[in-house]
Amino acid sequence: MNIQYKKGVLELCVLSLLKKHDCYGYEISDYLSKHIDIADGTVYPILRKLRSEGLLTTYMQEESGGPPRKYYSLTKLGRETYEKERAEYLNFAKKVEILLEDENNDEK
Amino acid sequence: MMRSEFLSKLAVELKKNSVPDADEIINEYEQHFAFKMADGYSEEEIAAKLGNPAELASQFESAGEDRKSGGRRATTAIGLGFIDIFAGAFFILLMAWEIIMAAFSICNAVAAVCLVGGLSPWSILPHLPRLSGVVFGLSLAALSVLSATGCIYFALFIRQLMRSYSRFHQNALAAASGRPILPSLGIYPRLPAKTNRRIRTLALFSVALFTACFVLGMIISMISSGSLEFWHTWGWFGYKPFI
Repeated sequence: MNIQYKKGVLELCVLSLLKKHDCYGYEISDYLSKHIDIADGTVYPILRKLRSEGLLTTYMQEESGGPPRKYYSLTKLGRETYEKERAEYLNFAKKVEILLEDENNDEK
Repeated sequence: MMRSEFLSKLAVELKKNSVPDADEIINEYEQHFAFKMADGYSEEEIAAKLGNPAELASQFESAGEDRKSGGRRATTAIGLGFIDIFAGAFFILLMAWEIIMAAFSICNAVAAVCLVGGLSPWSILPHLPRLSGVVFGLSLAALSVLSATGCIYFALFIRQLMRSYSRFHQNALAAASGRPILPSLGIYPRLPAKTNRRIRTLALFSVALFTACFVLGMIISMISSGSLEFWHTWGWFGYKPFI
């Protein structure tokens, strides 16, 4: 699947994961690559973009027996944006599904 | 590709694209390697799964642009903050003027009632024959209506000016952060044509009434006191009357 196409949807997936709980970078990358077929490295540019847009903030947290990890957390703006874009995406996806299945029926 | 090779290639590409805070990005990828190696993956496997460093670095480019616009947003916000201070002072000045106009109108109305009704609470009004008092009272009533009309229009003007300014404020921020810009608002209040005409008629009528009654009052007073400077004759300013 086209990477540019996926990227927008990936942003939504990142926001959805962070809505559940704060995560560090690798956790997000690992989670997404388990579910969606993307290069592992793609997540970091997305995280950075979301942060510069003010949807995410980061903080460092000490871990037992390791260097401090950078955690990502949703901002208020991020939460609002997620709710809005989630509804928009689901609505959009539903319509696309109807269109695409419609085409299949015509071919039969 | 080994870990060090991947990271150095990424660093070179990030520098080429002049992405800010490249160290922070490299650090994220270093951590990624650390986690994956702890899970037992080999360096080659991890690097392969991460993707091509050049391609990854190019994806940060747009993030770099966003950063710049973030800086622009901050500059705009600071600039607007300064403008807000001056605009705020200006609005306070306008409101003070509004209050003065309202007070002027109220004073005139009270004085008009006293003059026409022949009242002088606490003997606050100077000596005036009844007729002069009524005519001057009417002229002050007209002045009161005129200033009340001006007061109302001015209040609408201030409101519109503040709205217009706040729209400008929002738009400046929106432009700096790439959000859509709303149409700007004019500074003059837009009233229905009928209201506009009424206000104008009322203002003209009260100006005419004020001028006419004031001149008439002067003439009547001069005749009844037998002096051009009737206020001296009636001893308005505290000293003893001449007569």
